[in-house]
Amino acid sequence: MVEQIPLAFEHRLRPSFNSFYPGKNQEAINHLIQCVSFEGEQQLFIWGSSGLGKTHLLQACCLLAEEQKKTAFYYEFIHPDLPDAGLLNGLEDYEVVCFDNIDAIAGHAEWEQQFFNFYNRHRDNGFRLILSSTCPPNWLTIELPDLKTRLNWGLTLKLQALTDEEIILALSFRAKQLGFDLSPQVGRFLFNRYARDTVTLWQLLTELDHATLAAKRKLTLPFLKQILGKHETP
Amino acid sequence: MSSIWNNCLVKLENEIAPSEFSTWIRPLQALESDDHIKLLAPNRFVLDWVKEHHLNKLENAIDEFSNGNLTLTLEIGSKKSTTALPLQSNKSSEIKKSRPNFLNRAFTFDNFVEGKSNQLAKAASIQVSENIGKAYNPLLIYGASGLGKTHMMHAIGNAILQKNPSANVVYLHSEKFVQDMVKALQQNAINTFKEYYRGVDTLLIDDIQFFAGKERSQEEFFHTFNTLLEKKHQVVLTCDKYPKEIVGLEDRLKSRFGWGLPVAIEPPDLETRAAILMKKAALVNVELPQEVAFFIGKRIPSNVRDLEGALRRVIANSQFTGREITTEFVKEALHDLISLQDKLVSVENIQKTVAEYFKIRVADLSSKNRRQSITRPRQIAMTLARELTSHSFPEIGEAFGGRDHTTVINACKRIAELRDSDSKMEEDYLNLLRTLSH
Repeated sequence: MVEQIPLAFEHRLRPSFNSFYPGKNQEAINHLIQCVSFEGEQQLFIWGSSGLGKTHLLQACCLLAEEQKKTAFYYEFIHPDLPDAGLLNGLEDYEVVCFDNIDAIAGHAEWEQQFFNFYNRHRDNGFRLILSSTCPPNWLTIELPDLKTRLNWGLTLKLQALTDEEIILALSFRAKQLGFDLSPQVGRFLFNRYARDTVTLWQLLTELDHATLAAKRKLTLPFLKQILGKHETP
Repeated sequence: MSSIWNNCLVKLENEIAPSEFSTWIRPLQALESDDHIKLLAPNRFVLDWVKEHHLNKLENAIDEFSNGNLTLTLEIGSKKSTTALPLQSNKSSEIKKSRPNFLNRAFTFDNFVEGKSNQLAKAASIQVSENIGKAYNPLLIYGASGLGKTHMMHAIGNAILQKNPSANVVYLHSEKFVQDMVKALQQNAINTFKEYYRGVDTLLIDDIQFFAGKERSQEEFFHTFNTLLEKKHQVVLTCDKYPKEIVGLEDRLKSRFGWGLPVAIEPPDLETRAAILMKKAALVNVELPQEVAFFIGKRIPSNVRDLEGALRRVIANSQFTGREITTEFVKEALHDLISLQDKLVSVENIQKTVAEYFKIRVADLSSKNRRQSITRPRQIAMTLARELTSHSFPEIGEAFGGRDHTTVINACKRIAELRDSDSKMEEDYLNLLRTLSH
């Protein structure tokens, strides 16, 4: 049988609030939505370990801002390289600004100073700032005291990890978002036999999406085993 | 947003990874005409990145949805900034109208909680707002970050405007002054800049320590400052330290900043911290029990911004869960914050910090040595342990060589007396409190 080659589907899943499985994070989601909608806090800081969905949520904020006809900017710091601090110029005019992995700037004097300046300009405009990190703001090794106190000022929210059962439910939820059905039985098999971390599981879901589409088959347990047979278990 | 650009966004969102799309494509602002689409990037960095990595995709998408009828250009700018830049005008009346005063109306004298640490600064600020240019000029408020300097400044501005709504009051951060000056130089509008800043009735400039090392800005500010004082217009400044201690600030500025009244704001004591929390809670219609306010105040001794951040967390969590705000609830809601604070202000850490400060050995603090050079630091360390940790008197006594709890109580009383009568003791205590709280 000739395999159907899927089109560019890598980015089919828009990082929206609707495509995020909330688990115990509904409180954080509510605050993020209110913040972007200019109803809640002016500044939010969300933190938690990798793989909890911080990047997804910050991008969802930008998407929501766009839907509300607001200007939005998102930037993800990737350790250890920092871009030129000129990146901050003009961002004070954006109604919603999101910085992912803000901890990356800690200890970099030029970035701390420029970010502090940007912070004041942006806040003076009454706009919204949303930051994320793997630790809370008071744990950051920010050396500029004026910036450190400001990062502690807003509302800080910790993202909660999904339980094992919630991860299995989230797999089905995410598969549905991608456009195919994944039974709890299949989800449990993946979780028990393949990987327990969400980053790997979400990547696998994208591959399963491709495979089911290419083969025009439902994702049954035998078919899943057949697909995984082509992979090396990580 | 233009419909063509809207269609382009939908297409590009499927072609570009979400993080790339959110950073480089979504923030572009489109201006469309009959034969042309202009995309505005916020700065040079974004512009260069888009040109280097996404130009082809952008051109293809625009070609597709405009049937090849639109040409594309990319520029730095924003729809907002292209409409009104105050410094582009040459008429001062127009500048005045278009220029916001940047005052936050939420910061008033009424909602500023007064305590021993800030009462002088508050009294001086009220005087200034009631006797513009006459009482203390300049008024300089200095102290560590997050203690209420900015609040005080806004309160002065708001009080002046309440009495005289047409007063020309401007609040700005020192960096904004520098930025405006650079922009004015670039736009060949330095005279407009001078005219504007030298024409205000009251100029409130925050964080003047950031003028350090910026010689051209200091020069311009020096002249602005002189002009305003000559005209008996009011200048209010804040700084994170006494200006004479700022490295990179010209001596003539340091000297002038000291002409009027320099007043310090110190970290709030426990009672003031609790009062601040209760007042802030009341402002959002939340009743914070006194014992809870004291619990939070004791655990977060550093500054007002940290207190506000903690309070926000408590209120948000209480509203989401529907739970009553009790000490037990707060322990859960602030678990992460408190556990870090506990690490920072353990009795061991206090002993180490005090020993280093007075250049004695940590072991001396627990020894039976009764020389004053040892007993005084020991009493200070005991008092700090009482103020900054939740340990009981007996536990603190135990940590200091198994001393009786009454020794700790006496130490706390003695240090309180000495802080009132001996300015050197007060300074030492506050220095240690600051070190341990940050």
